[in-house]
Amino acid sequence: MKPRVAFFDFAGCEGCQLAVLNCEEVFLDLLEQVEIVEFREAMSETAHRIDIAFIEGSINREEDAQRLRDIRARSRILVALGACANMGNVQARANFTAPAEHFKRIYGSADRDRVQTDPRFWSLWAHTRVRAVHEIVAVDYRLRGCPMVAEEFLQLVKALISGAQPRQPANPVCVECRLHEFECAFDRGDTCLGQITWGGCAAVCIGQGYRCDGCRGLLPQANLAAHRQLLSERGLSDTDIRNRYRLFGSGEALGEEQRP
Amino acid sequence: MTASVAGEAAILDWIRTLGSRGPVFFPQKIGRQSLGFQPVRRESVLEFAGYHPTLAPPGKRLAPAVEVLFQYRSTPDRGLEFSPPPQPPGQILAGVRSCDLKAIHLMDRVNGAAPGDPLYLARRAGTTLLAVDCLQPCDTACFCAAVGSLGWRQGADLFLTPLEEAHYLMEALTPAGATLLAEAGFDPCPDPETHRRRAEARRANPFGRHWPVPVTELPTLLDHQWQSPVWSRHVERCFSCGTCNLVCPTCYCFDVRDDFDLAAPQEGQRQRSPDGCMLPGFAAVAGGHDFRPQPEGRQRHRVRRKFQYLGARHGGDSFCIGCGRCGRQCTAGIDIFAIVTDLIQHREMAP
Ligand code: SF4
Ligand code: SF4
Ligand code: SF4
Ligand code: SF4
Ligand code: SF4
Repeated sequence: MKPRVAFFDFAGCEGCQLAVLNCEEVFLDLLEQVEIVEFREAMSETAHRIDIAFIEGSINREEDAQRLRDIRARSRILVALGACANMGNVQARANFTAPAEHFKRIYGSADRDRVQTDPRFWSLWAHTRVRAVHEIVAVDYRLRGCPMVAEEFLQLVKALISGAQPRQPANPVCVECRLHEFECAFDRGDTCLGQITWGGCAAVCIGQGYRCDGCRGLLPQANLAAHRQLLSERGLSDTDIRNRYRLFGSGEALGEEQRP
Repeated sequence: MTASVAGEAAILDWIRTLGSRGPVFFPQKIGRQSLGFQPVRRESVLEFAGYHPTLAPPGKRLAPAVEVLFQYRSTPDRGLEFSPPPQPPGQILAGVRSCDLKAIHLMDRVNGAAPGDPLYLARRAGTTLLAVDCLQPCDTACFCAAVGSLGWRQGADLFLTPLEEAHYLMEALTPAGATLLAEAGFDPCPDPETHRRRAEARRANPFGRHWPVPVTELPTLLDHQWQSPVWSRHVERCFSCGTCNLVCPTCYCFDVRDDFDLAAPQEGQRQRSPDGCMLPGFAAVAGGHDFRPQPEGRQRHRVRRKFQYLGARHGGDSFCIGCGRCGRQCTAGIDIFAIVTDLIQHREMAP
């Protein structure tokens, strides 16, 4: 029997699911090997038993957390798909500001006060922190990045359906810069987060003449003290450094010591 | 063997025409201030002046970043059929400096040692090397003279020495080089020795950076520095990013993986890609044990490979050829020359 694969989306832009659909040349071959039972972008159906569940998006509300737990209970393997699911992504920046402050900025003081005093809105206050998937349920594999990398997705699926051990070495983005012979952002007078960021993206941003802003998340071995020092030697203020770390990585421990 | 003398412009024009017989690589600009051995086209901007070591060394053209080792296909009787990858095309690497030439020579030894690496050797056999001598240090990071690679000629098919007034002495060192030189049709030079001696007399002296002890003493020195505080001092800022391995002309470790075709899952290929001993997972083995978990242990291993282990195994004093790439491209500014300098000083301070 073909493995049953499902995609679920939470708070995100659905760009990762789009990236899956964009694996055009191999998508039909993939359908020969697996059965897709849920795919918000492409179809709608509810399966009871899932072999591989891909979760896209961050978890922002308690009802989302409940839905995620239900998916986990039905799934043999659960994969966090993309930066939102893996680390909260840019929206996790909201975690640094009090919820009441957000309400005020968006709806004005009067409405902010109303949602605080009217019991019909009280349930909103229980859902005020942006979380990554692994903060709620066990995650078996991760496909990092904003958006996820099509080649990595295919490698993971191939490994899972063939029973091989998926391989994602904890190598920084620098490895791919050096293998592709890209000039380092630091040699262009810029600064970069590539040394502390999970590689696997073929260093696309550097290849395009930009730098790495860390969308694939912090490596376990990241030497943050040295990195902070390097950025400051290159002229970045403490605020600049914090903002750079928090662009994608607010949901991670990164920069936490400098809250708010 | 034959020799010629020609002007720089004429030589570069000639190199541009060589592209018609197969890929030719020559150092060309990458990004704002870097160089790389890039394919030569008719309109390529080529120059000998202003050379500093390329991001990746020319030897990486003999060991591509993704190399197919073999193709496989499973047969209906549950067996496996293997087929070798296609024969690599011939190529010319031009503008190779002595340091990188020595590195290629050392890699020839490593890959030629039994049982031999057939893919490397096949690429190498199809490669013509056109090397250039240096009369000035290429930059402040290099130390080729300290490790015996300055002026290295072995392995080159054609060897160019800069003469005065933008002319070069071109010496054919192999039959392939002689054929190439004859076809070029430059003025023959009856007395290459004199030209070369005169050029070498103009070479900067001392040349680049030096240690207070000769490189031949480093193996013994390293033997007594297993516990040195120098190791941890030089990794405080290390990101374990592997750059120092991946840009080094004598680093050759690789990782292997299998890949199959989704459309035809019974067919696939095994391929290899460079790996590096500074990367955190390099020494992890089955069961998850990592026998070199700390960056200081990895740094010590890298330095000992360059100055001790490989020389002991394959001959030659130093497998570091002094190009300075690792220090130049390390964003943490960790320089193998400075590590060795500290080890020497620390030995002298120790009782
Ligand atoms: S550009 Fe960034 S990722 Fe690439 S080598 Fe430099 S620091 Fe590393
Ligand atoms: S280079 Fe950095 S920011 Fe760009 S895709 Fe890779 S990890 Fe993300
Ligand atoms: S390290 Fe020495 S041999 Fe190599 S390019 Fe520089 S000066 Fe030339
Ligand atoms: S290049 Fe520098 S930071 Fe990267 S592993 Fe080597 S020594 Fe460490
Ligand atoms: S160790 Fe560094 S200086 Fe020595 S050959 Fe390798 S890259 Fe060049």
